[in-house]
Formats: sequence, C-alpha cells, structure tokens
Amino acid sequence: MKILVAVKQVAALDEDFEIRADGRDVEPDCLIRDLNEWDDFSLEEAVKIKEAAGGGIEVVVVSVGPDEADESLRRCLAKGADRAVRIWEDAVEGSDPIAIARILAAAARREAPNFLFAGVQSSDQSFAATGIATAGLLGWPHAAVVAKLDFTPGARTAALRRELEGGLLQEVEIELPAVLTIQAGINTPRYASLRSIKQAAAKPIEVLGLADLRLTAADVGESGSLSRVRRMYVPEKGRAVLLEGTPAEQAGQLAAIIREFKGEAA
Amino acid sequence: MNGHGAVTRILFEAFTAAEVRLFYAIGYAAIAVFCYGCYVQIRKYRRGASLALGGTVGARLGAMAAAVLSHRTIDRRDPAAGGAHRLIFYGFTLLFIGTATITLQVDVLEPLFGIRFWYGDFYLVFSLVLDIAGIALIAGLLFMMVRRGWLKPPKLDYARPDRLPGDPDFNRPQYRREDWAFLWILVVIGCTGYLLEGARLVWLAGRPQVWDTRWWSPVGAGLAAALRAGGMSADAAGALRHGLWWFHGLVALMLIALIPFTKVKHIFTAAGSLYVRDPLAAQRLPRIPETQLLPGVAKITDLTWKQLLNLDACTKCGRCHEACPARAVGAPLSPRDVILSLREFANAALQYGSLPEAVHLDVHGKAPGQVAMETLWSCRTCMACVEICPVAVEHVPIIVQMRRKLVEDGAMDPLLQKTLQTIHKTGNSFGESKRKRGAWTKALPFAVKDARKEPVDVLWFVGDYASFDPRNQRVSQTLASLLREAGVDFGILYDGESNAGNDVRRVGEEGLYEHLANANIAAMSAASFKSVVTTDPHSFNTIRNEYPDFGAKLEIEHYTTLLLRLFAAGKFLVTNPLKLRVTFHDPCHLGRFNKGYDAPRELLALLGCELVEMGRCKANSFCCGAGGGRIWTPDPVGSEKPAQNRIKEAAAIPGLEVYVVSCPKDLTMFEDALKTTGNEGRFVVKELIELIREAIPVTRREEVSV
Repeated sequence: MKILVAVKQVAALDEDFEIRADGRDVEPDCLIRDLNEWDDFSLEEAVKIKEAAGGGIEVVVVSVGPDEADESLRRCLAKGADRAVRIWEDAVEGSDPIAIARILAAAARREAPNFLFAGVQSSDQSFAATGIATAGLLGWPHAAVVAKLDFTPGARTAALRRELEGGLLQEVEIELPAVLTIQAGINTPRYASLRSIKQAAAKPIEVLGLADLRLTAADVGESGSLSRVRRMYVPEKGRAVLLEGTPAEQAGQLAAIIREFKGEAA
Repeated sequence: MNGHGAVTRILFEAFTAAEVRLFYAIGYAAIAVFCYGCYVQIRKYRRGASLALGGTVGARLGAMAAAVLSHRTIDRRDPAAGGAHRLIFYGFTLLFIGTATITLQVDVLEPLFGIRFWYGDFYLVFSLVLDIAGIALIAGLLFMMVRRGWLKPPKLDYARPDRLPGDPDFNRPQYRREDWAFLWILVVIGCTGYLLEGARLVWLAGRPQVWDTRWWSPVGAGLAAALRAGGMSADAAGALRHGLWWFHGLVALMLIALIPFTKVKHIFTAAGSLYVRDPLAAQRLPRIPETQLLPGVAKITDLTWKQLLNLDACTKCGRCHEACPARAVGAPLSPRDVILSLREFANAALQYGSLPEAVHLDVHGKAPGQVAMETLWSCRTCMACVEICPVAVEHVPIIVQMRRKLVEDGAMDPLLQKTLQTIHKTGNSFGESKRKRGAWTKALPFAVKDARKEPVDVLWFVGDYASFDPRNQRVSQTLASLLREAGVDFGILYDGESNAGNDVRRVGEEGLYEHLANANIAAMSAASFKSVVTTDPHSFNTIRNEYPDFGAKLEIEHYTTLLLRLFAAGKFLVTNPLKLRVTFHDPCHLGRFNKGYDAPRELLALLGCELVEMGRCKANSFCCGAGGGRIWTPDPVGSEKPAQNRIKEAAAIPGLEVYVVSCPKDLTMFEDALKTTGNEGRFVVKELIELIREAIPVTRREEVSV
C-alpha cells in the first residue's frame, strides 16, 4: 500500500520586503521559505498509519517546486517519508492551483497510491483548492478539512471526521483510492532533529519533468491556468492616534473623532 | 626502648595448627570473593561504550592523589564532614598499611628471604602509630554517626523530588540501612581491635617484655588496666582474647569480601572516578561519534565505561542535591537521584553473566532505575552539581546525552520544539529576521564596523539576547560607546552572526548545534580580527571551549576582562565614583564554567561600589534558571522560579541598592524576578556595563551617544 503526500514549500515575508518589479509578487529575496504548516500534519498522519501497520506501507512525498524545495522534502524524509518526488520545469512558473493539481494528478497516476493526502491550504496563497482539484482531475472521492482519520491498512474504506461551521462535525466513510485534505491539529507533528535531516540528505529526491508525467508546457504555467495574478500590494495603513491628556481631555478628543467619523460637523 | 630489642607480637599465639589453617582458608576465601566482585564490577563498566581518555597518566594520577590525600573536595561546603572523613580515611589507611606490613613480613619476606623487621623499636613505634590511627578512625566514625543520627543535614535525606511518597524507590530505606551497617562494622572492627589488645596485655601481663612496653599501645594499656581493675584474671583474658581475635578477624575479612558489592567500594570507585575526571566535563560537551547511528543515551550501555564508573563513585553525600537550582525550587530533579537511579539500573542489568535483551536496557521512563523526561528537562546545565561533586561525578554530560535521545524522539516541550525550529530557520531564538541582527547599532551616533567588510582588532560576538532583546540592546549600545571612547577598534558580524549554540547544545539538539557552530566559524574565518569579545557568557563558553573541537581556536574573552585592561591602561577615568551598596551575581557560564570570578569584582571596586556578597557566590553561585535551554521553556505556574529564589537571597542584604549582573539573560531573568517577588522599588537590577557608564559620565563630545 502507498500513501502519496503532496507538500509545498511556502514563503513567508521577511523584514522590510519589497514587491517584484512587475508588481505581481514579492521579491524572492525577501521571502523566508518553509514547509507549509498543514503539510506537516498530513505527513504526520501518513507516517502514523505507516508506523502503526509495522510495515508494508510506503509514504511518498511529492512537491511541485524549484530545487530549493528540496530542503522541505528532506525534512519530510527526516520525519519518516520513504521517498520524495519533486516536479519542476521553468514552464510551471505562474501556474494557478488547477494547473498545479493537473501536475499532482499526473504524479498520482504514475505512483498509483491508495491515498493522496494534502494540506487543507497553503499558508502563503490560501487557495485551499489544490488538493480537491486533484481529486476532481483524478475522478477520486475526496474529503476536505479532515480532523480525524480512522483507517485500517488493507481496508477498502476509511472513516473520517470533518469539521463544519457552527461547531458541527460530520463523520464520513470514504472509498479508496481517495484524496483527503488534512486540517491542522489532527495530530502532533514530530520534531525532525537537524541530525535526522542531515541523514535524510542521503536519501535521493527524484526530480521529474513534465514529459515524465506526459504533460506539456501548455498544460501548466500561465498557459495552463484560467486565472492569473494581476497585482500584489500592501494596502494603505489605517490611522492610529494616541490620545493624551487628562481623562476628560481624552474623552473630548474621542468624542470629536466619533463625530467626525459619523460625518457630523465638529 | 632499650632492653626491649626482641619485643614483638607472636602471631597466632596459642592457636592450634588447625585454627591457623582455618583462618588462612577463610582469608583466602574472602580475597577470592573480593576478586570475583572486582571482576563483576569491571565487567559491568566494560559493558559501557568505549571512550579514550585525554591527558597523561601522570597528570591524572597526580590530580587524583592530590584530591584524595588533601581531602580538598570533601572539605568543600561541609568542613566538619570533611574533617571526620579525613580521620576515617587516614586512620583506616594506616591500619590497613599496618596489617599489610605484618602480612609482608609473615607471609612473604620471612618465609622467602628470612627477613624480619617487625620487632623491637620498629614494632613499638608501629604499635603507637596504629593505636593513634584507631582513635582517629573511631572518632571520625562517631562524628559521622552523630551527624546521621542527630544532626540530620537535609542533604542526607534520600527522599526524591522526582518520585512520590509511596513509590517503591521514593526514599530508599535500604540506603540508610547500608550507611549504618557500614559505620557500625567499622566501629566494631576498631573497638574490638582495642579490646583485643587490652585482653592480650592482661593475658601476657606476666611477660615483662610485653607488659613493660604496654604504653606504646596507650588505648590497649588503658583497657588492660580497666580489665584488671575489674578483676579479670590472665586466663580469662586469654580466653577473651582468643574469642575476640576470631570475631575481629572474621568481621574484617567479611568487610574485605563485601567491598565490591556495597558502598565500601567507593574506596576504589571514587579514586578511579577522580582519576578519569575531565576538568571541562560540563564546559565542553562530547560530540556524537561518527560511528554512532542513534544520538544520545537510550540504553544503559550507551553510557561510557567512565560514566558507569562515575555512577559507582557516588557516595550519596548530597552536595549536588543541595546545590541544584532545579531541586531548590521543587522541580522533579535531583542530580544525586539521576546518578543513583542509573546506578541501580546498571547494577540490576549489567552485573550478571549475560546482558538482558535490549528492551530491558532502556533508561528512559518512570520505572525504578529509569529517568523520566520531566527530570531531564528540569536541568539548567548550570554545572553546580559537577562543580561540587567531591568524587568527580559528571552529571551534566549524562543528562545532556540523555536529552539528545529525547530530542531525537521529539519528546520535549512544544515551545522548545518551536524555538529550535525558529533558530534553525532564522539563526536566532527571537524569530527575528537575520537582517535585523545588527539593527541595535542604528541608534548609535556612529557606525559600528562590519567585521566582514573591514579588518578590526576586536570582533564583538554579540549573541541573541544582546542583539534582539530591547532592554539588552541598550546595554549593547552603552558598551559600543564605551569601547569607542576607549579607542578600541572593534566590529561585529551583523547578519553573518548566528546564535552561538551553547544552549542549543545543552538542550541536546546536537545537529542544530553543529549547524550553528559551523555557520559562525565560517563567518568568523572570513573576517579579519585579532581577538573576540562578548557580553554573553553562554557564547563565551561555547566559543572558548567547544568551537576548538570544530576547528576554530579563537582568542575570546568576556567583556569584563577587556574593560578591566582598558581601565588599567588608563583609557577610562572614574569621575563619578558610585557610592552604591551592590551585590554581584556570578553568571554560571562566566564563573563556574570559566572561573571569571575576579574581573567583575575588580571593576566594581574601581567604580567605588561597596560589594556585599550573597551567601551563594562564586563557585556556589545560584543559577538564574535560564540555562540549558530553560529560558525557552516556561516554568510551571505557581512554583518558585530559580531567579525568584535568588532575588530573595539578595533582598536579605540590608540596604542593597543594585543587584549587578554581567550576562544578558541574567538581566532579563532577574528584572522579571524583581517584579514578581515584589522587590521592585527596593533595589534595581543593572548590567555592570551600565554602572561603568554611570561612573564615567559621557563627555560633551560624546553627549549624543546613548
């Protein structure tokens, strides 16, 4: 049995970041890269199933990204993934979540896993679409925002619990193969010591191009996407005023501000 | 002595040949049991991991002999017990040499070479010396009995902070029984020796050679007088002597046979432990051998043979128990009990012909003999235990190596886990951007040189707290101004610097430590400088003692010695002497770790401060609680923190005005503790650097500086 875990190396803003010259993204030098928080949980869930089974389950992590994503993949290998696959070609740049899903679906066809786990969303782009779109492209059953998973290796179905709005819970039985997007908090991800990460560097990361997945440049990137980013910017900051003086003076100032806000004459 | 040329003691006088043969048989049996016991113990140690000792045999033997003969380490913080032990040690040693002397003549030199020396003047002096030795032994033992039975110092209470009353190994009454049995056996051997001597004198009173020289055995002679006054006849004394002879001999032989199996073995294990002592045990933690697949200590056999020997050297004296800051505030840790637990484990697992299965060698857990993770994480790696141990037990490396295993398993506080990940990602524990590391210099009216871009005399390794913590940034700015005014050519590494790794290593995250050390070493080797200075004792320790293992031999000092030299060179003039009543807190990593006790005190004297020492100072300084990564782990709510305990100690000094620190983490810890103990307003916590600034007011030219 095999579990494929789709992971993403996300970007976080560094101090004093700048917007790229074309205005559609942040300057790459101003970003700090890390494994997506949700993916830590989905990997842990896969490794837990593998460990509980005591053998016979392979956990494969797959990521769409340039070679710097290897760092995140190595962390996954340190935490217990057996293999890592990274897919990249320059043509992939500019893909929307559906185009990424197209790549992941092709990778899933190649690996033929029983489960595909993905995080609910990525912390940098927050589309929450990639995992579910992959299921759609594969034609597999799927469940989003999974907060608990019961699965006995070898079984044809899995039971899971989803968190809905308003505190509702939903118990779902799903047939395999299936795509699950995993919610943060489903487990406690393990710590990958630096030593284990270094040791994981010895495990190879398989790098695939589009041709390996029977895709072409037209399937990905901006040409394979039906949406594209127009502009990325920081909105103007709101005003904040520190009121000073005696409590009575402060109250007077506050009242003036409220009146101004309501459009009344001062 | 004249006229007594032939005086001696006839061995086995009035014994039948069969009795003598029986005694020899029992003697050889006792020695055989002793030898077998030694074999079992040595086999136990050899089941530990291998370790090559550094240093020369001569230096080790010299250091061991000095410690054993002077009793210096046993005297510390308990001179009464040290004195009593000295009496016991020298008394016992002399008595042993005496018995060995007799054996040498009777069983070796006389039968083989016909040499006799144990008679006449030598015999008489021998008798006197041994009588005095016996008095010393018994006096020492009696004091120890009074100490255990009546004085009852708290450190001899074996109740464990990491167990609950009712747990099978909570207070281990078997230890108390063994302590008392040991004392009583030695007292009985000593007393029956004297009585035996007295009875022999009464028995042989008719023999002038014996009777006229009896006062060479003063205690025996006195007892003889008492026996005779009590009306004992020569025949009765002969019978008493015969019976006592056997009793005394058998008890003594039993003691010899029991040595390897009881606490008596400390005679050898303590000396052995002192022989293998590493003077930098806590300052320079061991690297993980390349051949070792899993880091740290998981099984008892992962401890080195030396560490297993350390465990056996412990005499439960309680000095570490008393010194431990974690124990003092009620954390579930006593260094003594970590050692004793592991010893119990080793004795149960490694003393038999074959090793148990690997699963029964796991030292982590809550079963008897195992050490719980809560216990290991309570340690501040402040080195108080290692420093005070009279028999060179090295607790800290054992605890850190056990933590390495916990780190590998991720068995740690989630906040600590997060901090380690943050340090990996950003190179600092504050989670700040690397680029902001040098931002504290922006407030200065002058530019601090970038040592990566231009050569400097002094490279200032700033460290995390002094770089990012707003309160400590002000101190860093003050020091930068002082250095500039003194004309020191200095620079920093800006974002080339990472956390030095001292505390990361003490957490047990060795891989991250290697990563940080290598990054800093690479950054420093790309810069041009003559020496390194730092305000952070933690960085100071690891760069000074641990970076050499990674190929960087740097000349580094704490700012206190640099500033003291600048004062001596006349670069600073105290124009505003501070007439403050202050106390000084020795940072663990500056004081105990690196013996930097004097420079801060000399600086305080130069500033005109009146220094009032706290009871726990210098080597006995009390950790602020931040060490070993504990600054990244919250202390349990409701319990006293070590820093609060310490501030309360300082608050007891009448008229105290300033609590002086010389460590960035101390400033954070103690300013917090000052508030939480309600002492705010009574006195203040200040960095020594700030006091220096006050004593050397900024001249007009530099007025714009901080």
